[in-house]
Amino acid sequence: MERTKYTSMDETIYEEILPNGLTVRLLPKTDFYKTYALFSTNFGSIDQQFVPIGETEFVKMPGGIAHFLEHKMFENKNGDVFDDFSHFGASANAFTSFTKTAYLFSSTSHFKENLVTLLDFVQKPYFTNESVNKEKGIIGQEIQMYDDLPEWRVMFGLLENLYPNHPASVDIAGTVESIKDINADLLYKNYQTFYHPHNMQLFITGNFELEQTIEWIRQNQNQKNFNEFQEIKRKFPSEEETKVIPRGEITLPISKPKVLVGIKGKKHHLNGEAALRQLIGIEFLLKLLFGETSSTYLKLYDEGLIDDSFNYEYTFEREIDYLSVGGDTKEPEQLINILKNLLLTIENNPDMNEKHFEIVKKSSIGEILQSFNSLEFIAHQFSDLQFENVTIFDIVPLMESIELKDIEKMAVQYIHKENMSEFRVLPKSK
Amino acid sequence: MQINLAKGVKLHVMPTEKFKTVTITIKFKEILDAGHMTKRTLISNLINTNSQHYPTQTDFRNALSELYGARLSTSVSKKGKYHIISVSMSIVNEKYLREKDILEKAIAFLENILYYPNAYHEAFHSETFKREINNLRDEYEAIYDDKQDYSAIALNELYFDTEEQKIPSFGREEDLNAITPENLYKAYKRMLYKNEIDIFVLGDVIEENIFNTFKRFKFADREINTQNPFYKLKKATDIKRKTEKQDLTQSRYNLAFNTNIFYHQSNYYVGEVFNGLFGGYPHSKLFMNVREKESLAYTISSGIDTFTGSMFVYSGIDQKEASHVREIVLRELDALKQGDFNDDAMKQTKELLKNSLYHSADNANSMIERAYASMIIKEPQMRIEEWVERIEGVTKAEVMNAAKEVQLKAEFLLIGKEE
Repeated sequence: MERTKYTSMDETIYEEILPNGLTVRLLPKTDFYKTYALFSTNFGSIDQQFVPIGETEFVKMPGGIAHFLEHKMFENKNGDVFDDFSHFGASANAFTSFTKTAYLFSSTSHFKENLVTLLDFVQKPYFTNESVNKEKGIIGQEIQMYDDLPEWRVMFGLLENLYPNHPASVDIAGTVESIKDINADLLYKNYQTFYHPHNMQLFITGNFELEQTIEWIRQNQNQKNFNEFQEIKRKFPSEEETKVIPRGEITLPISKPKVLVGIKGKKHHLNGEAALRQLIGIEFLLKLLFGETSSTYLKLYDEGLIDDSFNYEYTFEREIDYLSVGGDTKEPEQLINILKNLLLTIENNPDMNEKHFEIVKKSSIGEILQSFNSLEFIAHQFSDLQFENVTIFDIVPLMESIELKDIEKMAVQYIHKENMSEFRVLPKSK
Repeated sequence: MQINLAKGVKLHVMPTEKFKTVTITIKFKEILDAGHMTKRTLISNLINTNSQHYPTQTDFRNALSELYGARLSTSVSKKGKYHIISVSMSIVNEKYLREKDILEKAIAFLENILYYPNAYHEAFHSETFKREINNLRDEYEAIYDDKQDYSAIALNELYFDTEEQKIPSFGREEDLNAITPENLYKAYKRMLYKNEIDIFVLGDVIEENIFNTFKRFKFADREINTQNPFYKLKKATDIKRKTEKQDLTQSRYNLAFNTNIFYHQSNYYVGEVFNGLFGGYPHSKLFMNVREKESLAYTISSGIDTFTGSMFVYSGIDQKEASHVREIVLRELDALKQGDFNDDAMKQTKELLKNSLYHSADNANSMIERAYASMIIKEPQMRIEEWVERIEGVTKAEVMNAAKEVQLKAEFLLIGKEE
């Protein structure tokens, strides 16, 4: 095991890459009662075109297959895996994002049994066409439920504009239509390709004994056989095919309109420290422009143009990166114009000053350190931010080193009018 | 470790290296008074809005951001016969920061906003006052819209026999009109100068430094309440029933029971196991029988308020099924009295109780709440390991006995208008 000590953060990570390729990262925190384990694969909803393991040609999979696979993993020959966890007092869960699928449990007793359950159920697929067809109804309902959520619709409306013809513009669960084409055979193909230990990471934090735990993991993995790993080839639509559409709207039965303004970036190929700097930098920028301490926020709030739903976000993942800002508003056109204008005139913005920057920096450093109290947060960040040799424990020193002029430079590089889009959800007139 | 800062003002320092933060919680406690609760709720909101030295929300938020994103939260609650205002602040431990003295600055900020609220000439700032009155009115209206909350409050009103217990901890809309900036300020001064205060500081801190820093608060002496905190319902009363009609699709059916289960008193650990078997979890009798087996309810669960010794069952049902659900709830209670439950269910309930106990010990706020609850009952805090042992030791016969003391006292049914 390789040991990395983050002295200024009081944290020590142990890492080992097992012979089968699995990356194991352990962060013991023995003054906690709880143990939290997250087993994740670098495979999400956007990975729809790839060369299956053992084959040579690209195939295109139905939208939503990664999420569908996640659902089906919880079923094994003997029934429902959730029961196995609750039998040992643990609670289990899973989620699928654009680029990751993760399985997790949280327990305060029977750690070994729960750990083995986690490793075994994720590494033992069992699908039949019969159970796959049954699942289509359940997932279909889940998709329709999300279709009814205006927040979800405005977000995917914006994504359809920023990433037309790209899998990132499709609901993570797919569509009722797309999941119809899923069968057991396709699920196995995805499984064999992306659930190879080489493409996976196991992260454990909280209360556990280090040496004993790594030994249990080694033993468990040594018993299992996997195909020889071959580098995964994925394919995505070209720049030309996914040109930004500048505007869009839908109507839904809601009382207050919702808007989002977004900008598509081209920074997602960055890696290591540069990636983390990019992520922090754009987050600083958004907070400077739109955060609770900005004069813009107060003005928009006082004028009644925004309410507590106002939000901004920078998403940075493998293959995609974009920023978005917006919320509920009585005046959708006015708010869209103000937000776009603010993004395009950063050099004249009075909130871009040293004093405000210091406040933004301090509160950002504080917020990230506050989140380190949560084992869940740490584990999820370790799964999301896989930037070679940097980890979330490098964030605070990086934040401290960034200056206002770096942010201004990043903003100039990032913000281009032709990559900007707007989307609105308007009330259906009765 | 604890120290008296004045008569009726205690400081408790809870050193732990578990967290990267320091949590400071100040609790203001008084005997429940029907005329005070709405005012105290408004006060709790005002404390977290602005202050004399930070008069706009931006000034106030900036000050918190300058303290490395300090989080301030305020709330009101009831514990038996007491009403409590909590002011809590969580800040990053300065050992992870380049800048030092953050803890001291944070405590100074707390002192400043408490001693200099946004008030002039013995009255709260009128603009702020008006806005917060309106916000609170909106919150009350939202509760009316949320049928789950509404029917829970209606059940309380029916079940309890004193006015101050009938009113929720966060007050009620009808009191708002009588509140003025002047009488609210009087209530504020009562909180600051007359309420019993407990201050908790939890984190990787040096006790002596904390004591020295808190000396700056200059607290005045105040009376110490000696009343038993537990509220007990009058024994011999009939079952109270009420049905209300509103425009809605899903009906609500709630029941209230009197128990003899009180926080860390003789029946407590048995009571927790009993509630877990009855309606506390997805494997409990109510969920399994009412929802899973008979599909009569969308949700059904039970919970015990161990400071008033009452158990509440909340359910969302199809309105035609109310009498059917009632039948099953009482039948399942009877089953527990008769010992009709297996060892597996006992085991699973104990596992889940232990699990949530351990989880609470990994969370700073829950740790403080637990320490405070034992302050209120004036008993030393039980170690978690001992608590777990007590739960482990609960026997089947004890559960049956605890169930026998549980009596139905009130039922509230909220149904839709005629179809």
